[in-house]
Amino acid sequence: LPAGLSQWFPSLEVLDVSGTGLAELGAELLALPRLQTLLAKNNRLGGPGSLPKGLGQAPLGRSLRVLNLSGNHFAEVPPALLELRGLQSLSLGGNRLHGIPPDIQELRSLEFLYLGGNFITSVPPELANLPSLSYLVLCDNKIQSIPPQLAQLHSLRSLSLHNNLLTYLPREILNLVHLEELSLRGNPLVVRFVRDLTYNPPSLQELAGRTVKTRNVPYTPSDLPENLVRYLSLATNCPNPKCRGVYFDSCVRQIKFVDFCGKYRIPLMHYLCSPECSSPCSSASQSSTSQSDSDSEDEASVAARRMQKVLLG
Amino acid sequence: MEQPVQTETCKAKSLEELVRILHRIFSEDKISVEEVQELMESYESNPEEWLQYAKFDQYRYTRNLVDNGNGKFNLMILCWGEGHGSSIHDHTDSHCFMKILQGNLKETLFEWPEKKGNGEMTKKSERVLRENQCAYINDSIGLHRVENISHTETAVSLHLYSPPFDSCNTFDQRTGHKHKVKMTFYSQYGERTLSVSTKQH
Repeated sequence: LPAGLSQWFPSLEVLDVSGTGLAELGAELLALPRLQTLLAKNNRLGGPGSLPKGLGQAPLGRSLRVLNLSGNHFAEVPPALLELRGLQSLSLGGNRLHGIPPDIQELRSLEFLYLGGNFITSVPPELANLPSLSYLVLCDNKIQSIPPQLAQLHSLRSLSLHNNLLTYLPREILNLVHLEELSLRGNPLVVRFVRDLTYNPPSLQELAGRTVKTRNVPYTPSDLPENLVRYLSLATNCPNPKCRGVYFDSCVRQIKFVDFCGKYRIPLMHYLCSPECSSPCSSASQSSTSQSDSDSEDEASVAARRMQKVLLG
Repeated sequence: MEQPVQTETCKAKSLEELVRILHRIFSEDKISVEEVQELMESYESNPEEWLQYAKFDQYRYTRNLVDNGNGKFNLMILCWGEGHGSSIHDHTDSHCFMKILQGNLKETLFEWPEKKGNGEMTKKSERVLRENQCAYINDSIGLHRVENISHTETAVSLHLYSPPFDSCNTFDQRTGHKHKVKMTFYSQYGERTLSVSTKQH
């Protein structure tokens, strides 16, 4: 890019250098104080130095709202990028990413995140700390599971997960009340009821912790060593509404099927405090056609209200 | 539509001309699928002529009505963002022509599920349609899913449906269960339509 760029075009708001073969975006861009949209797709960016140093502190770092780096050679999200506090839209589709850095949460203004067509194998829970995220694309990757924390993305309207390696979804996904689009096709989703038969019995510490919590045994921080106070604060409530138990590390994984819109069945993973604790539907049935239980109907109506539209395979 | 009639290969040199010729063709009693497909293919996509209809939505593909064909057909432009795709759907006993105006679209054909659909739907074939190509489908051929599989390019397609229809069935690939949906337009004649319901297929 020409060195005089910011002097010649100080009011530049949109710059498209897509398909120009650029291997790096240079310092010439840093002084463009009005640049809001930078499109640099289908180039040769991805090596060290692809983005200019000092990006976060430069005028460009404050003004940039839309950044499209799709179709390049990025093997990781460049750390410099995470300094763009004002960034609203980021596309890294069609690169060579193997993961998503937890520091993605630094992009506080992010509304649109496109990461489709990479080699991503897992999603960090920190992704859920993006309060404005409304469109998240993770399709065409190698993702095996979605962290339940993603349910905290209250603004999420569209979630694209098609063509990954998902066998189930976290139960908490039902909490995404504004979700209107969900694509799941091309995943090896579990279609038959599955019960995880390996259950490690709780340790004595866990049993004691459970008793303290469920019996409301009073304690103060001075009564217990600090590590146990912390341990007790990590109790998770059993999701079975009829059970008032808690668990710490020892839980039973179960896959339950929930109907969306009365037509589609999604396998959701949830954790119960013990094999005896069960949602009524899990009792004996191992068949995939057992939909007629009260619990799963409750869930179905909840899901139907909340999920307006599901794009399934 | 029955067997081909007197075919003189017409070439549409602009979108306006395409619409004019379509009106003429569809005013006849007998219409030929091959003739319409050739005509649609003959039009060389010129973005200047259709940009006003190409309204993209961030979250999903859009349907933008171009011409209502005096009730005989609907001509519309569909805009597909990166990664946007449709569900598997039928065409409510109508003819469907789909021409690529920009980018590429992948079309996957499926067999109709068995009556008691309870298994994975059978894929028949798939292909990637290139710019200016025109595909044709109707319910006797099967069902399809259309998607923009590019992560870097948007896609725009021109669709003709005859007779027009505003609802169809979508199918769950894993079970074959179908679900009727109503289809709406994101814009009509270049103007954004705001409707209460956001249901599209």
